[in-house]
Amino acid sequence: MALAPLILFLPLLGAVVIALFGQFLQRTTCAIIGNISILLPFMLTTGLAIAVFRLPPEQQAVYAHPHAIGYWAHMPPLLTIPFRLLLDPLALLWMLIITGVGFLIHLYSVGYMAPERNYRQFFSYMNLFVFTMLLLVMTDNFLLLLIGWAGVGLASYLLIGFHYRRPAAVLAARKALIMNVIGDVGIMIAIFVMYVHYGSVSYEDVFGNVGAVSRSTLTWIGIWLLLGAVAKSAQLPLHTWLPDAMEGPTPVSALIHAATMVTAGVYLIARAHPIYDNAPLAAEIVAVVGGATALFAATIGCVQYDIKRVLAYSTMSQIGYMILAVGVGAYAAGAFHFMTHAFFKALLFLSAGIVIHALSGEQDIRKMGGLAVRLPFAYWTFLIGTVAIAGIFPFSGFFSKDAVLEQVLAHRHVWLYWFAVAAAGLTAFYMFRLLFLTFFSGAYRGEQKVHTHTDSTMTVPVGILAVLSVVGGWLVLPNHDELSIALRSSFVGTPYPQSMAEFNGSLSLEVLVIAAGGIALAWLAYQIAPKITLSANAALAPIHKFVYNAYYVDVLYHWLFEWPVYALAGACARFFEPVAIGALPRLATGIATRFARLSTSWENGYLRRYGLTFVAAAALLLILYLYLVRGAFAGAVQ
Amino acid sequence: MPQIPLNLYVGLSAALFVVGAVGFLLRRNPITMLMAIELMWNAANLAFAAFARNFIDMSGQIFVFLVITVAAAEAAIALAIVVMVFRHRVNADVDDISVMRG
Repeated sequence: MALAPLILFLPLLGAVVIALFGQFLQRTTCAIIGNISILLPFMLTTGLAIAVFRLPPEQQAVYAHPHAIGYWAHMPPLLTIPFRLLLDPLALLWMLIITGVGFLIHLYSVGYMAPERNYRQFFSYMNLFVFTMLLLVMTDNFLLLLIGWAGVGLASYLLIGFHYRRPAAVLAARKALIMNVIGDVGIMIAIFVMYVHYGSVSYEDVFGNVGAVSRSTLTWIGIWLLLGAVAKSAQLPLHTWLPDAMEGPTPVSALIHAATMVTAGVYLIARAHPIYDNAPLAAEIVAVVGGATALFAATIGCVQYDIKRVLAYSTMSQIGYMILAVGVGAYAAGAFHFMTHAFFKALLFLSAGIVIHALSGEQDIRKMGGLAVRLPFAYWTFLIGTVAIAGIFPFSGFFSKDAVLEQVLAHRHVWLYWFAVAAAGLTAFYMFRLLFLTFFSGAYRGEQKVHTHTDSTMTVPVGILAVLSVVGGWLVLPNHDELSIALRSSFVGTPYPQSMAEFNGSLSLEVLVIAAGGIALAWLAYQIAPKITLSANAALAPIHKFVYNAYYVDVLYHWLFEWPVYALAGACARFFEPVAIGALPRLATGIATRFARLSTSWENGYLRRYGLTFVAAAALLLILYLYLVRGAFAGAVQ
Repeated sequence: MPQIPLNLYVGLSAALFVVGAVGFLLRRNPITMLMAIELMWNAANLAFAAFARNFIDMSGQIFVFLVITVAAAEAAIALAIVVMVFRHRVNADVDDISVMRG
């Protein structure tokens, strides 16, 4: 337990060391520092997790230190925020994924980022991200959670804009930051409300007295927290930043925009479960947002051509599942899907990264095709990821998606259940569409040369993730539910059953059949009869274009939010500022300038002008002398 | 020998000064202007000498020597400047060297 702060601060140390001294170190040294400072925390977390899970459930909410390590704020009667680390099973699950998957992606980056100029900086930013993400999940109060929350937003901004010479990357980074800050404000307001009603922002005090405030207040807290979760997890209606965030390097997309950061919203709602348990309306909104996003994003994923954009929309869709799960009260199922998703989505991104790397940066699947033969390793791993995300037995996605769907139905959200099932069918369709277009569908269509060599630092993590994507779901088997037992102590007091041990055979079969239908459709459309698909696309061109442009939400936001601001600013610049703000200083400078011109105009540089000044001044002085002194003298005589 | 009255000296001095001042203001040739300045110096000198003699006070005459010294120095510097201007410009018109206006 005493080593827990090390888990948090080693990545920070790595980030600072690389940022300050990186330029004096070898590139490889920086990469090693970056990797070690994630590997050690992973090993420590593993040890800690084993220790904590062995404890009896009622003792599992472990604080790293019995007393605070320090104080974030210390104003005793008003507010005291100690700096403590809470290591309960929920936090440990997230920590394991953050450090474990994080380490694999760091390792992958060693090879993937090798051609980059700012190689050292990359590891510094990645370590900073891991630090802030760990802070987010390890803290025991909402204020430090918000700090970690904003910190991951910052790291995400830095990494999306990593190719800062590309205008698109800079714009995407800015967009992500702005939309995330909207969420940060939501959490801030939630914290204010909590402080007003509970006088504290620690989980212990807030959740311990959750029933002490009215239900409407709890609903409002839940809604403000949801705003934060929606922004961070790219749910409707604040989702538009995530597809653009694919401008960042692929390892960033894998770690931040698939496996960890975007699932912070799921963590937040699972963590704040006592609030949602007591505010059914807020929980209902959470579930609806998740279910709607799952289906919405899946439809867009079906028509995208950028390999990473398809994966981005599938991430949105899968996080929609998790949000749906935690919204209906299936917290353990949401966490389970988070875990398997981290495995297979990181795997998909990383093997897509191998393809992109082999094609020197090409991401358009229309310029791929036939790569299964040339890049067999990428193909097989991508296939495993695709099968896992499509939810095919016995890959990990099957178990977690099944657990989510089962609980959604068990909690009687029939509409949302059908949303989720439709999204599952679409997921299978678009993922296999992606697989076929990339690795099959005739010969290679691109112009880039295919580099078949892949660095071992890239293949090893991908291999490990492939194995995890297969076996990750076996934590929860019928009548043998390890995960929800492990997580039990984090969800004490929830009225919803968390166990995923029961197995609804007909439901699983239904979902399997729908997924298989999606796969079959993709196979028909892109392998058997691609020409019919093309003509169908052409026939449905308006709809295709509408969906391809993500339902024009970006355009809508442009006209709703950006345009009025630009128009107002333009009007101010043109009319308000010159008149209201500019007038007075302009008057003052005008007077001063006129006066200065008048006096300088006398000094025109001509010598005779100066001579005249001389003579005139002398004459004036003489007159003055005669008038004053002589006149005075004359007066004295009289 | 009847003494020349002081008023005539002062009148001549004033006339010389006015001629010098007007010449300085109206002429544009630097050499002529220097001559006009010289005329003003000497008008002042004449006045000094006349008053000194009239009041039997030697300090006026001492001032004349001082003025001659200063005038010589001034002429030397002014002529050097004029020569430099001649080197840079074909005709020497003081209106052409107005670039250093404040």
